[in-house]
Amino acid sequence: MLNADVEVDRRDFTVRAAVQVAPGERLALFGPSGAGKTTVLEAIAGLVTPRLGRITLGGRVLTSTELRQAVPPWERRVGLLRQDPGLFPHLSVRANLAYGRPVPEPELAELAGLLGVGDLLPVMPARLSGGQAHRVALGRLLLAHCDALLLDEPYTGLDAGLRRALTDLVVSLVVARDMPAVLVTHELADAQAFAGQLAILDRGQLLQLGAPDEVVLRPASRRVAELVGYLGFVPVTPVTVAGIHPERTLAGAHPGRGVVLTGAITGCRPAGAGWEADVRVADTVIICRLPDKPPAGGQFVVTVLDPPYFGPDGAAVPAARPEQVCG
Amino acid sequence: MSSAARAAVAAGATVPGDGSPAPSGPARRATPQRVRSVSGFVSVIAAAVIWIALLGPVIALVTHLSWAAIRSSLTAPGALDPLVVSVESGAVTLAVLLLLGTPLAWLMARGRLPFPRVWEAGVLCSLLLPPLVIGLLLIFMVGPYTPIGELLGHLNLSATNTFLALCIAEVYESAPYYVLSAQAAFGGVDPRLEQQAQLLGDRPLRAFRRVTLPLATPGLAMGLSVAWARAMGAFGAVIIIAYHPFGIPLQIYTTLQETGLASALPFALVLLVVALPLPLAAYVWSARAERRRRG
Repeated sequence: MLNADVEVDRRDFTVRAAVQVAPGERLALFGPSGAGKTTVLEAIAGLVTPRLGRITLGGRVLTSTELRQAVPPWERRVGLLRQDPGLFPHLSVRANLAYGRPVPEPELAELAGLLGVGDLLPVMPARLSGGQAHRVALGRLLLAHCDALLLDEPYTGLDAGLRRALTDLVVSLVVARDMPAVLVTHELADAQAFAGQLAILDRGQLLQLGAPDEVVLRPASRRVAELVGYLGFVPVTPVTVAGIHPERTLAGAHPGRGVVLTGAITGCRPAGAGWEADVRVADTVIICRLPDKPPAGGQFVVTVLDPPYFGPDGAAVPAARPEQVCG
Repeated sequence: MSSAARAAVAAGATVPGDGSPAPSGPARRATPQRVRSVSGFVSVIAAAVIWIALLGPVIALVTHLSWAAIRSSLTAPGALDPLVVSVESGAVTLAVLLLLGTPLAWLMARGRLPFPRVWEAGVLCSLLLPPLVIGLLLIFMVGPYTPIGELLGHLNLSATNTFLALCIAEVYESAPYYVLSAQAAFGGVDPRLEQQAQLLGDRPLRAFRRVTLPLATPGLAMGLSVAWARAMGAFGAVIIIAYHPFGIPLQIYTTLQETGLASALPFALVLLVVALPLPLAAYVWSARAERRRRG
């Protein structure tokens, strides 16, 4: 079990986070750039010193400000994979994989085969593609017998297919080796594909922690909703607004499935395999993702599926939804 | 304009009698290409001129030497003693630079020193001061009537006109070349690689040995070889503080003074032959290391 409850001072704000990750479980730290996500990882890895807090891994105390204890990075057995895989450029793939400890050849060959880099063992890192380099870096961490895996936006710059393939690979390895893993990302899709728990971090504050679908469908606050992709907030009562996620809208009136909004289309463009429309409702422009191109001009009716509601202080409030809102 | 002429314009040609320049793409593209080729030609000529100019003294040396002069100069009794002195003092200088200059360069590269600009300025000072001035100032610093000189005297050592003085002068003349090169070499190694090595279980010193040092070694070797060449050719500070024992540069100078240019040239060749191989070897080795790294 990885247990981290830390406060780390940064120049602009203090990062406060408390997370628990069981063996074989995956946690994603999601938030905007500069939110303090990497700081949390670096505190776990021992690269930054928390002002206050305690970090334990598998019963070992890695950091305890109370006990004035801090295990140095080289004794933590925590693997960190960053966006730059950090392969040692003067060593071959084989030497990189075996860097952490002498590895018997069969074990090395087996893992290299599993990672799809079995044919690349004599190759120098400069000859590897981005995806291959990440696989080798991942293999290096696994062969070093790390007790926890920390991933700091490792897939940035890779194409979507490769990201998904690497995510699936990491998930299967983490589960098979029964180790806790923490992913830092600012791509919600990456976080959802990877994690069993999603933590939302903003300006150093842990805003919400829960199952990914729960966090996305029931954000605890308007700020969390904004971070997970709610792009419009429509007043539904004098003190309550409904959060509108573009991907949770349906063309037409479906009163049993959510709030029905009526407004005028002010813009429309292709988006992926469908269309994205700007709909003006009660002085607010909401964005809807629709499978078919909406008709131009006139009133457009759209149903927002089971939206979250927020009070004047931005906190989520129980649903007290009206049936219809007209623009 | 006829249809043929229009086609010609479209193809980029100037229409005879049309008067206006053809506004076509290919014609416009031709000019930058020509400019590029002209500028490229000028660049190559300029590079060749400066290269030949730099090599000129060596060419002059080789063309003005005769085997007879070399034989008579270098076979005289004790003729090669200055070479031994120069090689020995150069070796001591390199050892001092490696031991003391390397940690300084690493600390400067990693920003581990307080007031880093002050440290850099200190290193640059000895680069900017003329060697002759360094020699004069060294007299005030380590001469026999200074505290350091007196301390050395208690140890039966002297920092003027001794082998120690020669080494001190050579260190001052060559140190900035090595320290600044080494700083650049260490600065070129991503600190995150060291961090990664530590996370994989290496203590800092082991990470330095396994990651930082191999990656910085080509740059360190280049810096060291340049420092070696500077040490072997050190003259300005040496003539002030270490006139004796003679190294090769002083041998050249005194031979020139006593017997003329023709007798001094063979020693210049010796200096070149001794000082040059290390930088050349370092260059070739660095290039090979870089090629190996690129796979």
